[in-house]
Amino acid sequence: MQLSHKGSIAAALAGATCALLGQSQAHAETDSSVLKDWKFDTAILYYGETDRVSLAEGVVSATKTNSDDSIFNVKLVLDTLTGASANGAVAQPTVQTFSRPSGKDSYQVAAGDTPLDDTFHDTRVQVAASWMQPFADTWRGTAGFNVSREYDYMSLGVNGLLEKDLFQRNTTLSAGLSYQFDSIDPVGGKPTPLSSMMVPADDDYDDEFEGEDDDHGAKNGSDDKTTLDMLFGVTQVINRRMLMQFNYGLSIVDGYTTDPYKVLSVINTNGVTQDIVYENRPDSRTKHSFFWQTKYALDNGVVDVSYRYATDDWEIDSHTIDSRLRFNLSGNSYIQPHIRYYQQSAADFYQPYLNQSADLPMYASADYRVGEMTAYTVGLKYGRTLENGHEWAVRAEYYQQDPKNAGFEQPGVLADLDLYPSVKAVILQFNYHF
Amino acid sequence: MAENALPAATPPVSVSKQTDFCIGRFDAMASPCEILIETSDEQLARTITLLAATEAKRIEHKFSRYRPDSVVSNINTSEGRPIPVDPETHRLLAFAETCFQLSDGMFDITSGILRNAWKFDGSDNVPNVRQIKPLLSKIGWQHTRLSNSTFTLPEGMEIDLGGIGKEYAVDKVADTIKTGYRGISVVVNFGGDIQVTERRKHDQPWMIGIENPASAAAVTDTIVKIYQGGLATSGDARRYLLKHGKRYSHILNPFTGYPVISPPRSVTVAAENCTQAGLLATLAMLQGKHAAEFLAEQGLTHWIYN
Repeated sequence: MQLSHKGSIAAALAGATCALLGQSQAHAETDSSVLKDWKFDTAILYYGETDRVSLAEGVVSATKTNSDDSIFNVKLVLDTLTGASANGAVAQPTVQTFSRPSGKDSYQVAAGDTPLDDTFHDTRVQVAASWMQPFADTWRGTAGFNVSREYDYMSLGVNGLLEKDLFQRNTTLSAGLSYQFDSIDPVGGKPTPLSSMMVPADDDYDDEFEGEDDDHGAKNGSDDKTTLDMLFGVTQVINRRMLMQFNYGLSIVDGYTTDPYKVLSVINTNGVTQDIVYENRPDSRTKHSFFWQTKYALDNGVVDVSYRYATDDWEIDSHTIDSRLRFNLSGNSYIQPHIRYYQQSAADFYQPYLNQSADLPMYASADYRVGEMTAYTVGLKYGRTLENGHEWAVRAEYYQQDPKNAGFEQPGVLADLDLYPSVKAVILQFNYHF
Repeated sequence: MAENALPAATPPVSVSKQTDFCIGRFDAMASPCEILIETSDEQLARTITLLAATEAKRIEHKFSRYRPDSVVSNINTSEGRPIPVDPETHRLLAFAETCFQLSDGMFDITSGILRNAWKFDGSDNVPNVRQIKPLLSKIGWQHTRLSNSTFTLPEGMEIDLGGIGKEYAVDKVADTIKTGYRGISVVVNFGGDIQVTERRKHDQPWMIGIENPASAAAVTDTIVKIYQGGLATSGDARRYLLKHGKRYSHILNPFTGYPVISPPRSVTVAAENCTQAGLLATLAMLQGKHAAEFLAEQGLTHWIYN
């Protein structure tokens, strides 16, 4: 049994120790395959904004840990979205009429109300899979892909992550790369940037507007964009209780970033809408983000605090502070309060409306999501482990987004109208892990 | 769950409750022993700790060379006669034989006799050649004979299972717990020799501090994340001699009777089980300055302090 190759000593010892401990090797293998079996995470989530969008989502995630500690994960997400979303136009003291995205119908908005397009209902299916493989003792490589499909949108992505442990595994360096291809085929076609939204006449819109579409080409075809993300991170074990992480991310978007369903109001000096035009955004966006997170284990809980700063060439700078505090109520249950605060500055092309008298800018959007705003989330989660080792958790959160006026005037009739209404939402989630 | 009959005299154990697990403690094999149990049920934790302590004490009594009634003492005083051995002892001796062969004679359970010359107490008492030379002739597993049911040790020689006994006990205890309490993740930690019975819920790792001999006063532990399997450390944190600025490791070369040259201060290895990890750590130390190279060739997760 003399072995000349040192490389096989570990393998020979594995056999010898099995004999010593009175286990057959086959037995040991079966054992570990039972222990490292599939685990499932399931969740259902409801997100509902007051008078606006509501979303229901189901998630099933399955993870298998293999005997060489490689991990395979596959995840399926299904969500349905219904409700209304702000179309970008300003409120008016009179009733307003807008064309639906299809261009074949119209909807009216009451005086004083923020114009909401209630056409939204969509179903999204997303599938993602990844494989993590440890190698050469202190390295881990992960590769994954994802596909997402909704009625007017399709997204394909691949990603990779490389991690290296250093200094007795107290430090982990990571570098990641992902490439995403998104294709959008807007309902009714892609509108010509800053062209007028045509409102169909009440009676015979069918004939007139199908013809118009073809003739003027205000809406035409589909478009796409690509996103390249790079991530560099360091995770450091500070001591037995504390873990710290720093990440830098670079995101480069190239292509169609415009929301084809968003419009702007063109107003006269008295604040009265004269025209409604489709928005237009730059065809690229470069974003840098810096992320810091610390987790600290208490005697009966965990403190998790993170801060993110992001800045991009659309001039949107954002700050996010997120904190979770987990209290163990007993050995098998916990509560976890959550507070998140978010703040962003407006994109340089954001404006709540266009002035009829001014020159048409190259880029413009009145979408509140690229405007100045603050947002906060407060929530509570309760989780419990069952006798059989399964775990369930329920989470309830309140979310409020407060768009702010980034220094724009509200001339004439706009003075008395709320151009920056808050968005309020509740989030309910139920998880089950087995 | 299996009902395990405990002996009349139960060893003293203590149990304390942590955030999401319990710790059972007792002393055995000249080490502080810890049992980490993923349960909030203290009564259950106490039962498991008692089971662990009882099995550890059984192995300690059976194989300690300090106890005159142990199997090892029985062999060491056999004066060259064949001694009948029970199946467990036979398995341990057969394992020692395999280790001797795999290491080309560097790992030898008959080399413990060098202890008569070397006392690793941190002093500068380095023995001279005249003290060591006579002992070398009493070392050599190849002179022993292991048959199916007996073991023969030449007169004047000694065996010492210290190099594998504790790791074996850790694995045995882990096995006993695993058989009786499937579904509960338990860490068996005898002074840094560790075995996890099964994965924790939600694939969380156990975070375990291992002594870092490189740092003064050993206050800085290295935190090791362990999901399953075994972990063992071989090192000379306290066991060494220092003379004229030269450090003499307690890892002795059985061929020369002197410490191996420039081994790392300590080596920790992760493997499928604790015994395997312990042997690999010891074999790495025996490679001296080539320890890192040896471990890299084995392709196992490891930590080295120089």
